[in-house]
Amino acid sequence: MNGAHDLGGMHGFEPIQPDADEPVFHAEWERRAFALTLAMGEYGAWNLDMSRFARERMEPGEYLRTSYYEHWLHGLQLLLVEKGFLSTDEIDARMRSLAAEPNAGTES
Amino acid sequence: MPVLKAENVTAVLRKGGSARMDDSLPARFVCGQGVRACNINPHGHTRIPRYVRGHLGVVHRDQGVFIFPDAHARGETVPQRLYSVRFTSAELWGPQGSEDAAVYVDLFESYLDTA
Repeated sequence: MNGAHDLGGMHGFEPIQPDADEPVFHAEWERRAFALTLAMGEYGAWNLDMSRFARERMEPGEYLRTSYYEHWLHGLQLLLVEKGFLSTDEIDARMRSLAAEPNAGTES
Repeated sequence: MPVLKAENVTAVLRKGGSARMDDSLPARFVCGQGVRACNINPHGHTRIPRYVRGHLGVVHRDQGVFIFPDAHARGETVPQRLYSVRFTSAELWGPQGSEDAAVYVDLFESYLDTA
């Protein structure tokens, strides 16, 4: 699909200049997003190309405004819903409960 | 369904997940041959970047046979030959490009036509 992920040749993005001490994960939630994606990938309900296609289907404006692991999380969430593991209602309810209790879910 | 246990994570990561397949398919193109990347705009997943579509390149290397990602994203495992194709920067970017620079893109056989 001709999505926002296909950036080759686009103008307006700065050159990629990674820090010398670039961390693998920039926040604890990124570590978790990676682990969840890996664990669910190993479960076998979808393959790598399905995962990529799920990330590509993110709304183009949102895709360009968000970070690498936000793309991963979006793709994982979409596949979990599409394959029937979770409903969007369940995710929304969990998000509301987390918002009401700021420290919930942050323990490592 | 397999469950990924913590003690297996390192082994799984080390093993990786190669998409290479053993099928011996005939090669439609040979190294050094001129090819044109197809102008296709599928709604599903594809690995052909927009900036090479419709452009002329030269087959640099036959990479072998791999799972075709466009079909795999629909749940079908189809073997297909993959080529490294060289495009000059001038071909891709016109007057803003250069004949001295090139981009090598791995492209599946069905993304390519004879030049």
